[in-house]
Amino acid sequence: MNSADFIALLPLIVPALASVVLLLLITFSRSHAVSVLFTLGSLLLSFLLLFVAGGGTPRRVTPLFIMDAYSLFFIGLLFIAGIVVAVMSSRYLGERSMERGEYYVLLLLATLGASVLAAGSHFASFFAGLEILSVSLYTLIAYRRNDDRGNEAGLKYLILAAASSSFLLFGMALVYAQTGSMDFFQLAEGGRVPDLTVVLSAGLLLITVGVGFKLAVVPFHLWTPDVYEGAPAPVAAFIATSSKGAIFALLMRYFSLMDLQRFPAVWYGIAGIAVASMLIGNLLALRQNNLKRILAYSSIAHMGYLLVAVLAGGTVAKTAVGYYLAAYFATMLGAFGVIAFLSGEEGDAENLEAYRGMAWSRPWTAGVFVAMLLSLAGIPLTAGFIGKFYVVAAGAGAALWIPLIVLVAGSTIGLYYYLRIVAVLYGRVPEGEGGAVTGFPGRVLGMTGGILLTVLTFALLWLGVYPAPLIRILQATVARLVP
Amino acid sequence: MREALWVIPTLSYLGFVVLALYGRGLTPSRAAVVGVGTVGISALLVLALAIEFMTSPPPGHAYVQVLWQWMEVEGFRPPVSLRLDALSVIMMLVITGVGFLIHLYSAEFMRGEEGYSRFFAYMNLFVGSMLVLVLADNLLLLYLGWEGVGLCSYLLIGFWYRDPENGYAARKAFVVTRVGDTAFAIALFLIFTHLGTLDIQEAMQQAGRTWGADSGMAIAAAALLLGGAVGKSAQLPLQVWLPDAMAGPTPVSALIHAATMVTAGVYLIARTHVLFALAPPVMLAVAVIGAATLLLAGFSALTQWDIKRALAYSTISQIGYMFLALGVGAWSAALFHFMTHAFFKALLFLGAGAVIMNLHHEHDMGKMGGLRTQLPLTFWTFLIGASSLSALPVVTAGFYSKDLILHNVGTSESGSLWLWGAGVLGAFLTSLYSFRMVFLTFFGEAKGKASGKPGPLIRIPLVVLAFFSLVAGLVEMPSLFAYAGLDVHLFTRFLQTTLPGITASPLPLSVEIGRELIIEALQLGGILLAYMLFLYKPGIAGVVARTPWGEALQRLWRSGWGFDRVYSVFFIRPFVWIARVNREDAVDLPYVGMIWAGFKANRFLSRTQSGKVRWYAAGIGLGALVLLGIVVLL
Repeated sequence: MNSADFIALLPLIVPALASVVLLLLITFSRSHAVSVLFTLGSLLLSFLLLFVAGGGTPRRVTPLFIMDAYSLFFIGLLFIAGIVVAVMSSRYLGERSMERGEYYVLLLLATLGASVLAAGSHFASFFAGLEILSVSLYTLIAYRRNDDRGNEAGLKYLILAAASSSFLLFGMALVYAQTGSMDFFQLAEGGRVPDLTVVLSAGLLLITVGVGFKLAVVPFHLWTPDVYEGAPAPVAAFIATSSKGAIFALLMRYFSLMDLQRFPAVWYGIAGIAVASMLIGNLLALRQNNLKRILAYSSIAHMGYLLVAVLAGGTVAKTAVGYYLAAYFATMLGAFGVIAFLSGEEGDAENLEAYRGMAWSRPWTAGVFVAMLLSLAGIPLTAGFIGKFYVVAAGAGAALWIPLIVLVAGSTIGLYYYLRIVAVLYGRVPEGEGGAVTGFPGRVLGMTGGILLTVLTFALLWLGVYPAPLIRILQATVARLVP
Repeated sequence: MREALWVIPTLSYLGFVVLALYGRGLTPSRAAVVGVGTVGISALLVLALAIEFMTSPPPGHAYVQVLWQWMEVEGFRPPVSLRLDALSVIMMLVITGVGFLIHLYSAEFMRGEEGYSRFFAYMNLFVGSMLVLVLADNLLLLYLGWEGVGLCSYLLIGFWYRDPENGYAARKAFVVTRVGDTAFAIALFLIFTHLGTLDIQEAMQQAGRTWGADSGMAIAAAALLLGGAVGKSAQLPLQVWLPDAMAGPTPVSALIHAATMVTAGVYLIARTHVLFALAPPVMLAVAVIGAATLLLAGFSALTQWDIKRALAYSTISQIGYMFLALGVGAWSAALFHFMTHAFFKALLFLGAGAVIMNLHHEHDMGKMGGLRTQLPLTFWTFLIGASSLSALPVVTAGFYSKDLILHNVGTSESGSLWLWGAGVLGAFLTSLYSFRMVFLTFFGEAKGKASGKPGPLIRIPLVVLAFFSLVAGLVEMPSLFAYAGLDVHLFTRFLQTTLPGITASPLPLSVEIGRELIIEALQLGGILLAYMLFLYKPGIAGVVARTPWGEALQRLWRSGWGFDRVYSVFFIRPFVWIARVNREDAVDLPYVGMIWAGFKANRFLSRTQSGKVRWYAAGIGLGALVLLGIVVLL
């Protein structure tokens, strides 16, 4: 590894080092503020280093990593998400009496794992990144140690993630057995992936099982609502965004490098998963009254929409995926942000009924939440609309009519439960005992909450009204994935 | 200076946002300052821009400001861009100038009303949207402004929403104009699919190249655009909404339903005149619609007792003149009449508003009278407005614009004597009904007592508008005046860079003088007849009206030629009937079924969320099995 490699890899080295340093730091100082500032500082530094690293791209750093515009874009997205989650967590943890420092070590590690996935170009880095991410998440999910639901969720995630990882490993082994390589680029070139043999396609689909679990797509989705409900709201936000986004980045790279669309078995497998996710995810959310569970189901459906773009393939599809993920990140972080900032010590603000009539007592918070919901529903002038528009355009370009029809049907079902929340927010305040005190009395967003949510809302509207800059960035980065 | 073009609509939108968000917390005076101030600054900016445009015109006499690219998908790249040219300068001057005066007037007129800041919020939103409409350089942005003003019109007609009738009037206006809007939207689709662009200038050039004159596509596109224009401008057969729109506050009627929004159709046709020139049958239709509308509405205006309804029919009739002018290719004449009409009709509405306000919300002219002495300023300004509307020769602005239209209709190659005759008959009706209003309201014996006098914020707009109603016509002199050495054609020359002149065959001097004399005789005759019927011998009108024929005709005219009844019988009642009979119709069943299936599926699927880890792991295993099954099968 020479100095150029080192510079290219800096954005990954910094968070890795930072987690070790923070681990040492908290043995000396238990100050919450120091941990938060250190975490934010190191993430920000890593983010800035992306521009330094961008000078030498594209560059293979050992067979394990590829630092190109594509991975830099997604790593950047992951760092931003990490920063947002850290800000959210600082408030969330600050109000609760629990050990705090270790949380940020785990958050840094999880972000590192996700970034490794985004830059991974080898089965080894794929698996290593996935495990760094998963192991950090086991603990983060169960971070509220004296909360039964949290412990239950952590344990469930541990067992199921371990099981799915074994599927993934077995799939990798089968592919290696057939092709003799674990390097994506070697697999891609020289016709290493021959005509489909049963063993090879079985291997590919077993990898799909492992990936599908992380993406929480049907039928590997069953854990999602329980884990979201049990995890602290900022951690749930992290699972919904970074964990899925990183896997998706890797999936896209893997798919386009090996041109997997040409194998009917893989194609139909993914198409089936996409269709099932769009339908079942939305249907499950219909009568749900727990906001975190609604968002869990919603994320299942959104991953289904994204898979439609993967099926389409091509440059438009890559732009679509990049745009959709950026929009989805902003929206999900905003939605979970509202929940996190409204959550008190007695439990997270996840009960829908508690929000009834909140728009009248705190219009701004409700307005932010409505903006997030409308974006999730894909209403024009929000980022979600442009994202969905691109996905549909990519799908229509590849004539994927059945997935598109399901996408439209799923979005329609989705409207019901998103608007249901909006209706509750603007609903009539129940009269009677306690007068009109609703909408989390005594809870204030505070400076951090107010600024963070305002920034996210503006990002959302900005992307929805003026998408050109991001599209230009995407065309310069994500769309140039395959030479 | 030109670079500040985007500021003009933005200011109004800014006012809207401030009032919409903080309106409740503002005192009425502050709300008025925001509402009036933003439009006032816009008006000053427009004035500065216009002066710069006239003294040092941009290259090509047009300046396009691209603000940003909205989206870009496979060749569909609508930019958000504004266009400054002679046409949009004229439109902006009127919108912000008259708009500012009406805002000023409203600050006093609406004082004490519930929802004072809401009113200004809507008004600002309207001005912003109207400016976007006239500045838009592509049809998509124009459509945005078009829908925006439609929305504001709806909101403001129903401003006093506690009365269900106002809500009904608002809905009626919205639904009827929607018929036209749909045609307009289809026209946009047609233009985009066939010409591949929504940029107005580009589309117009393309239309000439791709479609050619008198081709089916050009006729279809122009006819659909005409559909939109007819709806917005309340022309036959979609004119029925405008009289009911008078349910809104009077300043709204003055700004939206007289001076600006209802002339959007005129603007649209002028803006896309190249396309219309390619479709002679549609041009003929425009002229015929204009002529028919101006006559029908003129007769209706004659029999109204509600002063605002009379003015509404008069507006329909005057826009009919503009359509007539457009139909014979006299684009700038239409725009000229638009300008003078904005001044005198806004003046008339504001004057009527002052009367109504001082008579405790009395609209019925039968219960007015003798207000000449009680409200002298209102009387004199109203009289000036009515004279301008009646095109009183030489001294009023209305004379110059109407004369230009009639002259063009008489001499244009696509004009005809029939159209000219309709216009002249309309001019007679106009002076008859205008002075009927004047005599009934301000002369005769006093039937009501005016309470107090209008304040300065009402008086200033009246005086300023009265001034323009007199002198605004001097920028364009009739061709006959050229013989007297007064060869002034500032208006048409200014517009020539955007709108081509008319192709006309000159008439012999004697014929022109003869025609002019007929027009003037009929106009003055109308005033004289109004004096005879409504002031000198009011009995005659009563006797004529009481004959069976007279009564039937009067009823027909008062109800606007029974269009409402016809639409009710042919469209509304059958539709409502079908809706009622078919309340639980078969078409709904699939949807109800879908909802039922959705909830059933939800209940079934919810059972899979059992919370048991072994079940969840089984899900993963099952998924793996299915995927491997696919491998085996394929």
